[in-house]
Amino acid sequence: MEIATVFDFAHDTVIFVVGVTAVLASLGVILCSSPIYCALYLISHMICLALLFLLYNAEFLAVVQIIVYAGAVMILFLFIIALLGGKKEAPENSFHRAAAFAFVFVMLGELYLLATVGPTQQVRGEIPAELFGTAKAIGIELFSKHLVVFELASVLLLVAAVGVMCLAKFSFTLIKKRAR
Amino acid sequence: MGQEFVLLISASIFCIGTAGFIIRKNPLIMFMSIELMLNSVNFLLVAYSRFLNSLDGQIFALFIMTVAAAEVVVGLAIILTIFRTRHDMDVDHIDTLKG
Repeated sequence: MEIATVFDFAHDTVIFVVGVTAVLASLGVILCSSPIYCALYLISHMICLALLFLLYNAEFLAVVQIIVYAGAVMILFLFIIALLGGKKEAPENSFHRAAAFAFVFVMLGELYLLATVGPTQQVRGEIPAELFGTAKAIGIELFSKHLVVFELASVLLLVAAVGVMCLAKFSFTLIKKRAR
Repeated sequence: MGQEFVLLISASIFCIGTAGFIIRKNPLIMFMSIELMLNSVNFLLVAYSRFLNSLDGQIFALFIMTVAAAEVVVGLAIILTIFRTRHDMDVDHIDTLKG
């Protein structure tokens, strides 16, 4: 089912509003001084992006975005913030902040110019329209064309899990003695 | 909505993430900025997979999510360990490895 037909009266308007909201939420992430508010802004940003994925016919990825990012990863962030205590940062040096923003907005303009220099060639893919973005189509692609990468990703996740357990069980008394 | 809008939104989110990584001192918020950058690339891949009618972009986005999840888990464990040993969260003060 094409979710975009639901919003057919104003597809472009919905994409515009959700996209601008995503940008505003990401501004909130970097400008809030309290880490807990940053995490909440990031969750709203993830939800906006999931909506955008839906509007661009990536239903499976939208669900994965909600479950993995807005669910698992952000809950992990919130747990760590709760564990470490969400202290506010000391105020910034305003010159650094201004320099960072100037740099970044110059880069933004440059990226935009680079990306719009030549029009992208439209290709006709072989995916039928009713399958596009569904779990079935993605599964077929994943297990036929990208099987090796899939197995490598599973190895990566295993290594990450084992590495985190090693980090968590490691004893730090030696390092503490040396630091003093 | 045209390709220019998608590029503009994605580039803005990416640059905001870069700025956040530069100006913040809390390692948790720096991690969140990295997540912002990864997410902007994901959005660009998904939108272009729609424009080009090919699913490769969505597969790449899926793998980016996998790598990001693994990276967050390891990074948060490292932050937690640093906090346990030093009781300090400011990245400007963590300079033990500095030559």
